[in-house]
Amino acid sequence: MYIKKLNIKHFRNYNELSITFDNKVNVIIGENAQGKTNMMEAIYVLAMAKSHRTANDKELIHWDEDYAKIEGWLEKRNNTLPLELVITKKGKKAKLNHLEQSKLSQYIGNMNVVMFAPEDLNLVKGSPTVRRRFIDMEIGQVSPVYLHNVSLYNKVLHQRNQYLKILQRKQQTDLNLLDIYTEQLIDLAVKIVTKRFEFLHLLQDWAKSIHSSISRGLEELEIRYKSSIEVSDGDDLSKMINEYKEKYERVKEREIERGVTLFGPHRDDLLFFVNSRDVQAFGSQGQQRTTALSVKLAEIELIKSEIGEYPILLLDDVLSELDDYRQSHLLSTIQGKVQTFVTTTSIDGIHHDTLKNANIYRVSKGQLENPSESNE
Amino acid sequence: MYYPEPISKLIDSFMKLPGIGPKTATRLAFHVINMKEDTVLEFAKALVNAKRDLTYCSDCGHITDRDPCYICGDKSRDQSIICVVQDPKDVIAMEKMKEYQGLYHVLHGSISPMEGIGPEDINIPSLLKRLQDETVQELILATNPNIEGEATAMYISRLVKPSGIKVTRIAHGLPVGGDLEYADEVTLSKALEGRREI
Repeated sequence: MYIKKLNIKHFRNYNELSITFDNKVNVIIGENAQGKTNMMEAIYVLAMAKSHRTANDKELIHWDEDYAKIEGWLEKRNNTLPLELVITKKGKKAKLNHLEQSKLSQYIGNMNVVMFAPEDLNLVKGSPTVRRRFIDMEIGQVSPVYLHNVSLYNKVLHQRNQYLKILQRKQQTDLNLLDIYTEQLIDLAVKIVTKRFEFLHLLQDWAKSIHSSISRGLEELEIRYKSSIEVSDGDDLSKMINEYKEKYERVKEREIERGVTLFGPHRDDLLFFVNSRDVQAFGSQGQQRTTALSVKLAEIELIKSEIGEYPILLLDDVLSELDDYRQSHLLSTIQGKVQTFVTTTSIDGIHHDTLKNANIYRVSKGQLENPSESNE
Repeated sequence: MYYPEPISKLIDSFMKLPGIGPKTATRLAFHVINMKEDTVLEFAKALVNAKRDLTYCSDCGHITDRDPCYICGDKSRDQSIICVVQDPKDVIAMEKMKEYQGLYHVLHGSISPMEGIGPEDINIPSLLKRLQDETVQELILATNPNIEGEATAMYISRLVKPSGIKVTRIAHGLPVGGDLEYADEVTLSKALEGRREI
């Protein structure tokens, strides 16, 4: 899929803008604070109905306006699908093919994007929270039931922690209620962990072969799910439930002492291994970078296999962080298949091959221009 | 304020009601001024009486103007089944169905440590007391199908099960008469989980 045309109104530092793109690499060049990332954000928001940078939608509206509007024409399966998202101070309205959608969940998922920004390098070296958020967001794009289960899990977790605190202070001694929260927690934990396993399995398959070719066959990437219980592939649900039950029973007293739930999917983590060594602990900067890139590229393939079409790739300020070899590899992966948006402050850091087939746009003070068009 | 004091006081009072904001409150207040004095008096009396004359049934906790309430006092109803609900409004909903002939027990809430509500803060102790009488054979748990309602149902079932009384939980899934295509993903997956052989 690709965006043919984009209209932006009152979004961040853009007042009014209408621009057309084509189905290849679009490079957006500009000085700092001119609107490069805002452009990427606009595309991201159009797809996901929320920003990757902020949870406060009001920040997206131009400072002296009441609303922001993003319209996009998405070319998908040889059809044009018009998308429209209006953000007001009171809420968001989304239109699909000119029809207003009563639920945002009906809207999200029609346009798929994969964003690779500098903070994604944290995927490997950052805290486990970053990796859990990544996995939840990615599965959420294709499974609304998963997202619902995660939010229920968090609710039960809150109730359970609160009750553990009450038990800790000895304001209550009834363990029945704790057992019930444990049971509810396990029920959801099993569903979440199974889905994560399934997803990682697919991701690993793609990431492994991509990583191997970026590293010229020298490195073998492995992604492991670090769970609080022993699980292996093909385990049936009842076995997992029993594992959880036994473990919670064992740590019960310690949990009451500490007043908090000590393990569960909310404490699980992803581990990346290159040639059987933990990348987070022992990998070089370059290996960590390659790992993050492999995972992101794998995501593109994963979405393609789920929905039958390539998503749109947004590379915010990361191309110059990759060396020539990685850049050309990235390029060969996406060449002619994936519509890509790249932002950079200068053309210098970008490999020649990347630029050869690219459209160049210059952004300055909230205006975007296509110099190649104006020259014609 | 731009309004004379009696009106702004009336607006303030209306705003204490759920679902009523400043605009609706103002509209209601001005409507009251244009109403006949008799009607207004009756209205005020109804408000006060509803508060003064209504109490909670000492058996089941339902709102009532006499104790025991009309349901508990009706000896033709099946005394061996008790349906446990969270709210008096739930009793009314069940009664509208006109199918259920048993008794009720109103909890007035659900267990939620986050909000500081424990099992003894809702009508669970009085329920257990009612069950000591041998006449009750079945307990239907009709708390809401969310985390708190579910936890409350599980809690009650744990306490009651050992006594040998049959404990059941109402089903959840697709609404009757609706179209499958309009159901949300979560409801559908619940309905799928609870499928049965026919």
